[in-house]
Amino acid sequence: MDWKQLWEICSAPDNVPIVGMIPLLIFYCYLAWKQAKANDDLIGELETNPALAKTHHRKSWPFRPGWQKEVHVWPFLLRIEFLATMIVTIILMVWSITLYAPLEEPANPNLTMNPAKAPWYFLGLQEMLVYFDPWIAGVVMPTLIIIGLMIIPYIDTNPLGSGYYTWKQRKFAIGTFLFGFIILWVSMIIIGTFIRGPGWQWFWPGQTWDHNRLIYEVNRDLPDLFGIASNAGKAIFGAIVVGAYYVLGGFGVHAFFRRYNPKDYKRMSLLQYSLMQFFLLTMVALPLKMLLRLGFNIKYVWITPWFNV
Amino acid sequence: MPEQPIPEQDPVVTKSYALHYVLAMVILMATLFWALWDEALGQRPWKAFQNEWKQRYTAFLDKTQPKSQSEVKGVQTTPEYQQLDQVYEQANAAAKPRKEELQKQITNLSAQILAVQNVFTDRRAYVNALNYQMETDTSASGKASKRKEIDDYKQKPASVEFPDGHKEQYNYAQLEEKYNALKDERTKLNAELGDVLKPVTAASTAMSAYINEHMVDLTPSQLEGLIKKTKEWDPKIVQINVAEANIVDRCESCHMGIREPLKLTAASMSAKGAKKPDEYANAFVSHPEPELLKMHDPDKFGCSPCHQGNGRATTSEEKAHGNYEHWLWPMYPKENAEAGCQTCHSADMVLISGEVGWTISEGKDLFRQKGCMGCHRYEGYDKEPEDLNTVSQQIKQLEQAKKDNIKEAADLMKQADTAASNEEANQLNDKAVALKIANSKMDGRIQQLDFQSHSLLQDTKKVGPNLKDVRLKLNKNWIPVWLKKPTDFRPTTKMPNFRLSDHQIQAISAFIWQSAFTDALPKQKPGNAEHGKELFETRGCLACHSIGEGDQMQGGTFAANLSREGEKANYDYLVRWIHNARQRTRPYCPLEKKDIGPEDYAKKGLPYQWDLEHSQCPNDGHELQVQNMTVMPSLRLPVEDTQDIASFLMTQKHQEPSAYADASYMDDPKLRDEGKKWVRHYGCAGCHEISGFEDEGRIGTELTYEGSKPIERLDFALFTEAAQRGTTEPITDKEDLQRLPDGPAKGPWYDHKGFFEHKLAEPNVYDKGKTKSETEALRMPNLHLNQEQIRALTTFLLGSEENSLPSNYQYKPGDARRDIQDGWWVVKKYNCMGCHQFIPGQKTVLMGLPQYRENPEQLPPKLLTEGARVDPEWLRRFLSNPSLSETDTNRNGVRPYLKVRMPTFSFSANEQRKLVRFFQALSQQAMPYVPEPVPTLTAKETEMARSLFSSTAAPCLKCHATGDPQHDKIATAPNFLLAKERLKPDWAERWVLDPQAISPGTSMPSGLFRRDHGQWVFAGPTPPSFQGYEKDHSKLLVDYIFQLTPEEQRRVAASMGRPQASNRAPTIRKPTTTAASGGSR
Repeated sequence: MDWKQLWEICSAPDNVPIVGMIPLLIFYCYLAWKQAKANDDLIGELETNPALAKTHHRKSWPFRPGWQKEVHVWPFLLRIEFLATMIVTIILMVWSITLYAPLEEPANPNLTMNPAKAPWYFLGLQEMLVYFDPWIAGVVMPTLIIIGLMIIPYIDTNPLGSGYYTWKQRKFAIGTFLFGFIILWVSMIIIGTFIRGPGWQWFWPGQTWDHNRLIYEVNRDLPDLFGIASNAGKAIFGAIVVGAYYVLGGFGVHAFFRRYNPKDYKRMSLLQYSLMQFFLLTMVALPLKMLLRLGFNIKYVWITPWFNV
Repeated sequence: MPEQPIPEQDPVVTKSYALHYVLAMVILMATLFWALWDEALGQRPWKAFQNEWKQRYTAFLDKTQPKSQSEVKGVQTTPEYQQLDQVYEQANAAAKPRKEELQKQITNLSAQILAVQNVFTDRRAYVNALNYQMETDTSASGKASKRKEIDDYKQKPASVEFPDGHKEQYNYAQLEEKYNALKDERTKLNAELGDVLKPVTAASTAMSAYINEHMVDLTPSQLEGLIKKTKEWDPKIVQINVAEANIVDRCESCHMGIREPLKLTAASMSAKGAKKPDEYANAFVSHPEPELLKMHDPDKFGCSPCHQGNGRATTSEEKAHGNYEHWLWPMYPKENAEAGCQTCHSADMVLISGEVGWTISEGKDLFRQKGCMGCHRYEGYDKEPEDLNTVSQQIKQLEQAKKDNIKEAADLMKQADTAASNEEANQLNDKAVALKIANSKMDGRIQQLDFQSHSLLQDTKKVGPNLKDVRLKLNKNWIPVWLKKPTDFRPTTKMPNFRLSDHQIQAISAFIWQSAFTDALPKQKPGNAEHGKELFETRGCLACHSIGEGDQMQGGTFAANLSREGEKANYDYLVRWIHNARQRTRPYCPLEKKDIGPEDYAKKGLPYQWDLEHSQCPNDGHELQVQNMTVMPSLRLPVEDTQDIASFLMTQKHQEPSAYADASYMDDPKLRDEGKKWVRHYGCAGCHEISGFEDEGRIGTELTYEGSKPIERLDFALFTEAAQRGTTEPITDKEDLQRLPDGPAKGPWYDHKGFFEHKLAEPNVYDKGKTKSETEALRMPNLHLNQEQIRALTTFLLGSEENSLPSNYQYKPGDARRDIQDGWWVVKKYNCMGCHQFIPGQKTVLMGLPQYRENPEQLPPKLLTEGARVDPEWLRRFLSNPSLSETDTNRNGVRPYLKVRMPTFSFSANEQRKLVRFFQALSQQAMPYVPEPVPTLTAKETEMARSLFSSTAAPCLKCHATGDPQHDKIATAPNFLLAKERLKPDWAERWVLDPQAISPGTSMPSGLFRRDHGQWVFAGPTPPSFQGYEKDHSKLLVDYIFQLTPEEQRRVAASMGRPQASNRAPTIRKPTTTAASGGSR
C-alpha cells in the first residue's frame, strides 16, 4: 500500500474538492434518506388515519394549537439562509487562504504533462473519452446530458413529492437521478481523480503511479469479433446492434415501467414517454459500454467513417 | 413518528439562532482578520525579512561605528592630519571677524527683503491679473480702460513696514526698484562671504579627504548615512527591472545586504545570542564575490540570469528560489552556482576571476579532455572535423563545377566553329572564355580551401591514440586485457570502462588488430635507461604524463600514466613516438577516405615523401592528414636521447609482456566483422582513429542544451519514484558510490543535478533492474571520475541551457577580448598550463614536483605578461620553432640553460595566430604591433652604456647566456642578442627598473636603478663620463642592449673574465621575495 502516493493525490489542491465531496455526498444522502423515511412513515400513517391528517402539516411535526399554519420568509427562512451564507463564506475564505491555486509552469508546447487531467468537474467527460470517440464523448453526450436535464420538468408528470423529501412517492425519479448523478457522474470523477494515473492507465488506490509501467491490452471492435471486415458491413452491423439495444431495451423498460410505475405511465403522453425512454436508455448505455470496454476490451460497437460508438 | 416530545412553542418561529449567529460572526471576523494578516504579511514574507534587516543591520552598524571612530582617531593623530588641522584653525581664525560681520549684515538684509517682498509680490500679482484681462479684452475701449486701471493702481502708494519698525510709502515702480536693490546687495555680500570662507572650506575638505583616503573601513559619516538610510527604510519590494532582457528580479526584497558596501557574514547578521545563523542571517549576507558584481552590474544583469530561480516570486522562499515542482529553472545549488556563468560565457574555455570560475572551467576542460565530445556533440567543442567536412564538400562541388565548365567550354568552342555568322561565333567564344576565367577563379578558391584544410587537419586532434598503429605499437596479448577494464591496468587512464563481455572484447581486439597497418618499423638500438630516467624527469615529460602508482604518482594527469608502459609497448615504436609523436605510418586522404601508401606515390612517379610541407595527395592533389592526431609535441630530442627515454619506459612494468595470455584469436578473420559492428556500436572512433571509421558520426545525444531538458525527458527509469522520494540509493557499487559528490542520496534527488551526478558516477545506473539485450544496454562507459570532476561536469551540464536573454547578453566580444577567448581554447588544448603560469595564483604541474621546489629557477618561465614583453612576430616564429634554429634544434632557443624543454607543438598557422593574439590581448597590447625605433647611440654613449653593462655592481653577463657553451651551462637568463628581435624596448626598460613587480620571484635583481631628481640613475658606481648626463641610465642600457652585436658581447665578456657561480644574484640588492616559483627573466 503506497500511502505516500495516496496522500499526494488527496492533498493536491486540485483534488481537495473531490476528497471533500465524498463524505459530503454520503452525509447528504443520509440526511435526505432520513427525512424521506420520516415523511414516508408519516404519509403511511396519515393515509390510514384521516383524522390525524387534519391536525398535521409540515410533514413531520404534529400540529399544535397556537402554531401558525404558515410562516413568513422573512425572518424565518432568511435568518437560516443568512447563517448558511456566513458559514459558506468562512469556508471559502479559509480555503482560499490555505490552499493556493495549483498554477503550473509556463506552458511548453513540446511537453505534455502526464497524466494530463481536466479540472475536477470535467473529469467525468474526460473519462468518457476512454469509451467513446471524441465526437460522441465530447460533443454529443454533453449536449444530450444538458438537454436531458432541461426536459426533466416536462416529462415529469408526478405531482407528488414537491417541497419535501420522499422516496415512496418518487421512486423512479429519485432512482434515476441517483443512478445518473452518483453512479455515472460522481464515480467517473472519482475514477478520473484517484484511479487514472500516468498514461491514463488504471491504478488501484494505493498503487504507485509508475511512469514506466507497461500493460498489455488489445482492444477490439465488436464487428471484428464477428469477423466483419468491410467498412460498410461494420457500419451496418453496428447500426443493427445499437438499434437492437434501443428496441429491446425499450421493450424491457416498457414492461418494467408499466409494472412498477403504472400511475406515471398513465399520466404520460406518448411524446413524454418516448423521450423518457430515449434518454433513459442512452444513460444506461454508458455503464454498459464501460463494462464492454473494461471487462471485455471491446473498443467500439458501431464504426462509421464519421463517428464511432 | 418523531421520538422527541412535541415542543410547546413552534420551533420554526421561536427557536433562537443567537448563539449560532454569535459563533458564526466571531469565526467570520477571525477569518477576516486572518485574511487581512495573510494579505499584509503572510503573502509577503519579505516584509518580515526587511523588518528584521532594519534591526540587525542597525545593530551591526552601531557596533561598527566605535571601531570606525577609533580608526578615525588613529588617522587624526598622524602628523599630516595635525598639520591639516592647524591650517584649518588658522584659516578659521583669520576669517572669523569679517565672517561674523558679513553674516550679521546678511541677516539684516534678509529681514528687509522679506518685508518688501510681502508687499511687492501681492501688488505684482494684482497687476499681472489686470494685465491679462487687458490683453484678452476684445474691444479697444475696454483695453484702454483696463490700461488706465493698471496705471492708476501702479501709482497708488503702498506702505512697507521694515523690521526696525519704521514705515515707508512706495508706489509700484519704487517698490520694484527697492526690492531688486536689496536683493543685489545680499548677493554681493554672500559672494564676499564665500571668498572669505574659501580657505576654511578648502582646509576642511582636505581634512575629510585625508580621512577617507586613510580609512580601511567606512568613515563614521558614511556609516551615519547607512544607519540613517536603514532606519528610515520603509518596507517595500526591491526590484531590478531590465525591460530589454525581460528580467524582473525581486531577490533583494529579502537579500537586503547583497550590495551593501560592508562585508556582511551570516555570523555578523545573526540575532543577539543566537548560536547558529537563522534564515534571516543567511539571507542578509553580502554577495560572496563583490568583484563579480562589479563586472556584472545587477542593474543590468539582474540575479536570475546567473542564479536561475523565479525572480518575480515573493510569496515564499521555495517559490522565489524556484524549488517547486512546476518551475522549470530552479536555482542552481550553491556548489554548482558557477553553472550560471555558462548562460553567457559558453564560448569561453577559461572563466576565472579570483576564486570564482575554477569549477566551471574544470568542467569545460574535462568535457574536452575526457573525450565526452567524441560521442556527444556540444556547440563549440571539437569543431575541426565538422569544418573539415564542410571544406571537403566545397572542394568536391567546386571540382565538379570545374569539370562541367571545361566540358561546356569545349562544347561552346565546337559550336563556334560551326556557327552561322562571325558574330555568333564570337559570342560563343566569349562565353567559353568566361567559363575558363570562372574556372581559374575556382582554382583560387580551391587553393584557399586547401590551405584551410591544411590548418584544420593539423588542428584536428583525437583524445585517444591512433589505432591504425596497434600492430606496430602494442603487445598483442595485452589488448584484450586492457579492454576488459582499463582502470585495472592504469587507474588514472582517460580510457573509460566499457563493461564489455569477453566475446565482445575478442571481436573488438580482432577487428582492431586486423585493420591496422602492417608496415615495417626501423629497428632501434637499445638505449641507456639510467640516462633516460634523468631525461624523463627533467625534460618536462611530467607536465603532462605521470609516473609511479598510488601515492607514489608524480606528474600531470593530462596524459597517460606510464608506470606499466613496458608491459604494453613496442620499443621501436616508442622511440619513434617520443622522437616525434606526430609521425604517421601512412598519410590519410580525407577526400578519398583511404590511407595512402607508397604504391599511390609510385603510380604518379613521385617519391614516397610526406610531411607538413609535402601534404598533397598524389591522387587528387588535395590536403592529406600527415600527422598523428595527438597533442603530444616533439621535444626535439636527438635519437639517442629518445632511445634512452624509451629504454627507461620499457623498464616500467609489473610483469613481463610475455606473461600475458595468448590472444591468437585476434587473427581470426571471422571475428573481424563482428568486431567492426561493436566498434561502431560503442563509438570507439569518437576518440580513436580507426581504419574505416574516419568519418564516423557521434553516437551520443547532443548536450549543448542538456540542462534545459525538462526533467520528464531525463529517464530515471525504474528509479523515478526512488529519486522523487529519496528512498533508496540506486548505486550499490562501492567505488561508484564514492564518486557521488554529495555521497549516497539522503533526500529526494529527482532533479537535473541528481540525474547527472548519478549518471556520471555510474552511467548504467538507470539500466539497473531492466532486462536489456547487448545492443540495447546503455553504451556510455564508466569514466571513473572523482567527486570534484563529477561536480565540475555537473555544473557544466546544468549550465548548458537554452536561455531567453537577448543575444547581446552573450559574451561574444569583437575586440581583443575575443582573442583571449579564442586563445584559451588552444592553451587548454595543449596543456600549456602544465608548465607555464598564465593567471596569478595558478599552479602548474611542474611547480608541484619536488625537483623544482628546490630549484625554482629551473621552472619554465611565467607568461603573466608575455604579450607586453615580446614582439608578436618573434613570438610566432618562436612558437613554430622554439629552438629558433634550423640546424641546432636540440636546445631551447631562449633559455638554453633550462633542462626542461619547450617542445615543438607543430601549431597550424591558425593556432599560431590565435596564440600570438592571445598573448598580446592578455597584456592589453595593441595589434598590429609597430616596434618603436631604438635611437642609435653615439660613441660616447656606447662607452657609458658598456660601463653599465659590465659594471661589477651588476655584471649582466654573469647570469645571462652569451652563446659560449662553457658559460651557458651556468647561465640562468636569456642571451642579450635575442633582445633586439624578441623584446619590446619599452617593456625592457620597465623590466630593468623593477623585475620583481613584473615577475615576482625572478632572480633578476630589482633596484639596479634609483630615482634621482626625476632621472633614473644606476645604483652602482658610475664612471666620471656620466657627469652631466641627463637622460635615464636605464634607457641608455636598454638601447645599448638592443644594439648589442655578437662581437661587442664577446669583447665585453672577455674583458670581464669568466664569471663564476652565476646562480647568485648580483650584489646590489637581493630580491626581497622568496616565492617558490618563477623562471628567471
